[in-house]
Amino acid sequence: MNTAIHSVAPEEVMAFLDGELAPAEAQAVSAHLDQCADCADLAGRFRATSESLAQWTVPPVSSSVEEAVMKQAAQVAAGRSPAKAGRTTQLSFWNWRLWAVGGGSAVTALLALIAFVWAGIYYEDRPRPSPPAAMVVMSQDAADYAKPQGMDALVPQEPRQGLTSGARGAPPASEAKKAGIAGIAGSLPASPAEPAPMIARTVSLTIVVKDFAAARASLDSILARHRGYAAQLTAATAENAPRSLQASLRIPAPELTAALAELKTLGRVQNESQSGEEVTQQHADLAARLENSREAEERLRAILAQRTGKIEDVLQVEEEIARVRGEIEQMEAEQQALEHRVEFASVDLQLTEEYKAELNPPSASVSNRLHNAFVAGLRNAAETILGIVLFLEEDGPVLVIWLAILGLPVFLLVRRYRRIRAKL
Amino acid sequence: MNDAPRDSEIESSQSPRSGEHPQSDEKLMVAFARGQADAFTALFARYKQPLFGFFRRRVADPAQAEELTQETFLAVLRAAARYQATALFRTYLYAVGFNILRAYRRKAAFRATFLGEQPPGREPAIDSAIETQALMRQAVGRLERLDREVLLLREFEQLSYAEIAGLLGLPLNTVRSRLFRARLALHDLLAAPASHPAAQEFAQSKERL
Repeated sequence: MNTAIHSVAPEEVMAFLDGELAPAEAQAVSAHLDQCADCADLAGRFRATSESLAQWTVPPVSSSVEEAVMKQAAQVAAGRSPAKAGRTTQLSFWNWRLWAVGGGSAVTALLALIAFVWAGIYYEDRPRPSPPAAMVVMSQDAADYAKPQGMDALVPQEPRQGLTSGARGAPPASEAKKAGIAGIAGSLPASPAEPAPMIARTVSLTIVVKDFAAARASLDSILARHRGYAAQLTAATAENAPRSLQASLRIPAPELTAALAELKTLGRVQNESQSGEEVTQQHADLAARLENSREAEERLRAILAQRTGKIEDVLQVEEEIARVRGEIEQMEAEQQALEHRVEFASVDLQLTEEYKAELNPPSASVSNRLHNAFVAGLRNAAETILGIVLFLEEDGPVLVIWLAILGLPVFLLVRRYRRIRAKL
Repeated sequence: MNDAPRDSEIESSQSPRSGEHPQSDEKLMVAFARGQADAFTALFARYKQPLFGFFRRRVADPAQAEELTQETFLAVLRAAARYQATALFRTYLYAVGFNILRAYRRKAAFRATFLGEQPPGREPAIDSAIETQALMRQAVGRLERLDREVLLLREFEQLSYAEIAGLLGLPLNTVRSRLFRARLALHDLLAAPASHPAAQEFAQSKERL
């Protein structure tokens, strides 16, 4: 069939027979068919094909279908939910709803479990008031901020007081400072019978300040005013990070309340906790033992002064005196430390600056940084590629083996499926 | 073109057959959706044989064809409340039927592949009483899969080119050219039923498309 001499395409002849052409086109094809024997023959073939196909009849459908359908139709028309009655789909392994529901509930259960566990841990972690320590925990907000200053080393206070265990007989250098509280220290060992409570107080404070330098300065002046000192102080000034200060302060016990109140005005109090340890009993024990030892020393000295004997005996007594003396000094030091803890409340202060990021000009030049980043990028890319190559070299053969082992059955099954599917 | 169904006995596709029934399919379906029970009776009477033919010519097992026919009607019934007369009911019905057929084929192929069931053959040659039918089935079966589908939809379900294109998701031109090719091929196949092995092989190799 040569289309060159035909004014209509063969497909158009077919479309004409199927009634798919517009009237004008149909007329043209019809006219052409009258003249062209080839095309008429083609049309004849199409008709013949359709006629032969028409012989492929189908026997009437059985009445069971009609019964089932009409029953269902009656139910639907009666307004009953047809979905249940006519449901023929069962839950199969591939049913997406099954997976959606199953997966959804699994995820929910997992989330619930995580929430439970997390809540449990959180609850455990929360500080709880423990009766023996008599600790008070409180948090409060104070919208008060103070002034700044740089970060030099330590507060200009007496760095230490007679805490060193060796400095026994020598009176503390800062005796004058202790004047205000000397009464407590003096009276306590003298009267062990009536237990005026000795309490070693510890306060921990976390304060966020707006102006760090100003807060430093005020801290120093507060310490000076209340005759306290900083036992330890660390200040950190990192670039692009909030400055912070950590200090362990010692403040005379009677001044504590006033000093705390002043400290709190430095900024916003984020966390505050106070605790007091009752050391009366401990102190009384120490005092009693100390007295015993002193009496023993007295007696030994008396022996040494009154009696004369062999040189060995004298030496032995002196040795004993030295031992007792050592004990006494140790206990005295202990007592002093205890008294100091009572006289001076310990305040652990953490000052943090409320961080305000500053727009600093880049320290390194921009071109340098760009260059460095570019070089690093190239290096990373090279390393990645090298890593992939190495991985393939090392594990490639094994991967191929596994791929063959696992992939071949899958491939065969898929091919089989496709073949069967095509034949249906 | 044609709004009303026809039975496969009528071979010409051009004769307009409207007016055979007092009410259009779409109106009947809408009436049924509103609760008029006998509307569906009429629809069923019109379509039970064409739809059964649709399945019977595509599925070898007659019992299976009946089951699929029933399933299609039930699916239409289930969706009756949502039915909207946007397309011809006929097109709608065949679209539902075609989906069910596809699902059936998929399932059957899956079972045959993975569960080792016997794949349902296209032609249980023995049980075909009439030889012409067996011949026809065989000849049609040698066509390429999509060609076959286009041809069957056109010749027996009397769908227009556009409807076939919509149903199979093909461009209109493809439908036309495939139909053209299928008809000529079928003509040759029917003219020479005892086709030589080479042609058979070719047809089979194309089936996997």
